[in-house]
Order: sequence, then C-alpha cells, then structure tokens
Amino acid sequence: MTTPLILLPGDDVPSDYLPSNSSAPLRLGPGLRLLSEQVPTSSGSSGSHVITATQAGLVSTDTKKNGVSIASFPNRRYIPTTNDLVIAQVHHSSADFFHCMITPQAPHVLLPQLAFEGATKKTRPMLRGGDLVYARVLSVGVGAGAEVELTCVNPATGKAEPGGLGPLTGGMVFDISTGMAARLIRASSSKGDDEDGVEGLVVLDELGKKLESVGGFEIAVGRNGKVWVDSSNGGDSSVKATVAIGRCLTTIDEHELNTTDQRKLVTRILREMRVE
Amino acid sequence: MVGPTATLTPLARTDGSASYQCPATGFNILSSVNAPVELPGRRDALKPEDATVEVLVKPGTAPNGVGEQYVKEIIKNMLGKLVLGRERGFPRRGVVVTLAVIGGESVARGDSYLTMLPALLHASLLALLSAAVPLSMTFSATVLAVTKSGDIISEPSVQTAKAAASLHALAFSSKGHLLLNESQGAFDFDTWERVHERALTLCRGQAGGSDEDVSMAENGDGQPLEGFIRETVEDKVHRDYAWKIDED
Repeated sequence: MTTPLILLPGDDVPSDYLPSNSSAPLRLGPGLRLLSEQVPTSSGSSGSHVITATQAGLVSTDTKKNGVSIASFPNRRYIPTTNDLVIAQVHHSSADFFHCMITPQAPHVLLPQLAFEGATKKTRPMLRGGDLVYARVLSVGVGAGAEVELTCVNPATGKAEPGGLGPLTGGMVFDISTGMAARLIRASSSKGDDEDGVEGLVVLDELGKKLESVGGFEIAVGRNGKVWVDSSNGGDSSVKATVAIGRCLTTIDEHELNTTDQRKLVTRILREMRVE
Repeated sequence: MVGPTATLTPLARTDGSASYQCPATGFNILSSVNAPVELPGRRDALKPEDATVEVLVKPGTAPNGVGEQYVKEIIKNMLGKLVLGRERGFPRRGVVVTLAVIGGESVARGDSYLTMLPALLHASLLALLSAAVPLSMTFSATVLAVTKSGDIISEPSVQTAKAAASLHALAFSSKGHLLLNESQGAFDFDTWERVHERALTLCRGQAGGSDEDVSMAENGDGQPLEGFIRETVEDKVHRDYAWKIDED
C-alpha cells in the first residue's frame, strides 16, 4: 500500500491506487463514479474512462473483493440500507406490526409481529413501547417517503440469521457515531490475532480479558450508531461493568484513541468504577 | 494578508457542518447541511429525478432583508449545479444548507452583499463536504473591489467595499471553470479582465497550472484558496482516520 490518498469531489483516482487484481471486475463503492472522458486524437476522439470521487475522504481499497471506495467523514446520519444490522426501539404496535425507531429524526420503520424466530399467531413476542430489538433491514423501498421494513429472521430459512437477532432484554444502549459502529462490526466479523487489533480497535478484546472474572459481557452493535451492552452474569458488579463498557466505547469514539490509549483507557475506567 | 480559518463538523446534530472565519472581510459564518431530508410533498413534483437544494441565510443580529434573499438565490443556483442530485438516495429529497452569520461586521441595509458571498460559499462547500453530499467538483470563491483610482483590493471589508468603484465576486471550480460572476458598480471590460486574472490567481494559484502545482503553489497573496479548502479537509480526514492511516 502506498501513502494514504485523500480526494475531494471531482478528483480522479490515480490508476496505481486501484486494486491490481484483474480476474474479477472492479467494484466501485460509495463516493466514486465512472466518467467517460473524450480524448481528442488524430482520428477523431476516442473515449476513455476515469474514476472520479464524488465525496471527500480517504481512498480505501479491498483487494479481496477487488473494490475501491471513498471513506468519508464518519459522523454521518444513518440512512437505512438493505441487510444492515440495526438496534431498533419499539415505539408502539399495531395489529400486524411493531412501529420502531432506528434514528430519532426518521419516520418509524415497520417490524412485522411474525418476523421473529419461531413466531406464530399465538406465540409472538409481546413487545411494549421502549423495548429494544436487534434486527436486519429487509427492504428500504423505492424513492422518498418509502417505508423501511425490518426483520429478525431470514425469510428463506425461518431462523434468526445471523445469530442473536430478536428482542434485547436487559442491558443498556449507548450512542456512538455511525463510523464507529461500522468499525466495530468489521472488527468483530474479521477475527484477527493481530497485536494491533482489527480496524485499530483493541477495546473489546481488552475488556473481554479484564471482565472475565465478572462473568464476561454481551454486546450488539447496530449500524444506526447504537451499541447494546449487557453483563448480567456479573451479579453485584454487572451494572458497573455495563456502564464501564459503554463509557469506554463512547470515549474512544469521541477522542479517536489509538490502540495504546485504548488499553490505558480501559484500565483507567475499570479502576475508577471499581469493577475488578 | 491573513488567510481564512475553518473548522469542519463543529455541530454534532447536523449531517454536516462547518465554521468559516475570514479575517480580511471580517466575516464569521457557521453553516450546516442536512441531506438527504424528506421535503414537503408538493415540492418533489418539480424535479422528480433530482434533489432540491434549499439555502437559508440568517444574519447575525439584523432581521432578514432583501440582501439575504439575493445571496440565497445566487448560492442556491451555484450549489444546485454542483450537487449530484441523481445519486442513490437523493432524488426527490432535499439538501438543506443553513448559513448563519455569527460574527464580524454586519452588512447594513443598502450595503453590498457581495463582500459576504465568498465566505458564505466556502462555508456551504465545507459543510457539504462534511455531510458527504455527492458533488461533481469543488470550488473556491473570492471578492475583489476596484477603487476609484483603479487598484484592485482582494477580500475588501465592508467599509472598503462602500468606497469602491466596483465590486466583483468570482468563483472557480476545481477544474478551472468560471462558476460565478457577480459584479456591481461601474467598470469596463479591461478592468474585468484584470479582476478575473487576479481572482484566478487568488483562488487557484498560478493561472493555467496543473492541479498538482496549484495545491503546492504559494504566491504573493499567500496560499491559494483552493489549497486552503483541500488542506482543511485533509486535516480532518487525517484526524478521523488516524487509526487507519497509521495501520498501513
């Protein structure tokens, strides 16, 4: 990898920053578009193509998928996209649907009452206003004003795939930036034994090691900038541990800490809260 | 000449925001962008396949006047050409740019609003960038005053502008197009040509240079404005992606 490249809208991506894998077609991610360029030559004009940025940010390439995209500023508002995992809060329920909030400013999204693992007309979960659900975005509709639909099962198999979808009981939700949420999801999906952690995050590994004595913890990350933390096995110190984990995550998000500072922060917060 | 200063994303609850201070003209602008947002239904029939750009300009202490309406229309037309309203998620939705004049000399009734225009344009561009709204290109803008003796003053203050024979606000895209040309007062073509040349140097460094040279170029007027925009964005990206850049 050469030096990091930051582009502004209208800048062309230099060809040496594109992944060189030629077996698969190049995939353009968000923030990039393909423009054809008319190059005047002696025999009329021949068209060539340039890849141009439409957002400001860092060029990031994915050699496995042969993709290139622009990583823009991470504090953006969450816009639902199909297959995203989100943490939704039930607002009210109607005959067939739970009306949920995924971001406070957006219209309510719909979660069918039967879209849970093993749910039938008789055995569906009774969720009240304020309850939390870990769900997948099933469809976002077409155009403005379309309804967003969530689901907690894979419609093909009827199982809660990937695991853990469904109502979240106990625990506490913390707000983080959407960029941090995406990082946490990527970090947990690609397990590395790297000393520096995946995506520059060591906080979860570090907390896992330190909180083993109080029974560990559960965590669910929603792409809508929410993270749910629960450590109900901890007995007396479970509340303290939950709050400590939340504080660690939000502080790292706010101050953009590096791996060394993340380790220090975890130690400091756990000592302050007297969890260990 | 003291260069401008800017901060990206000072506001937490908007999709994108920027604050921009221009010491030469003495303006301090806070801008925020919300996009894409749902618009009231009656508006999306106008351009069903495109996004609608809305601009709001709020003067700091005075009530809204015709001056704000005037610059609002100029900014709206200019940004409307840059925003790629057909990208995914944007058609039939709105891009709302709110510009608040929070400091500096206020433009009194009857004074020219052109002095404030570059600061407003830069603030809205930086906010659009921080909101990650798709744009076809970036731009830089400047305002020049021509005094009665024919001297060109860049980024004049409100007092200087009042005494000037003519005022010119120009904006250039990052590809070198002339995006905006608003003039006021009495001038001839020769004067405009000189103003254009000076503005091009101010915005893009050496006239006619390639993109790489421009961002590096330093001239008598300090750093070109386009380089300033680029540097502000690069700084912010570096800070936000420190974990990623250090890793590589």
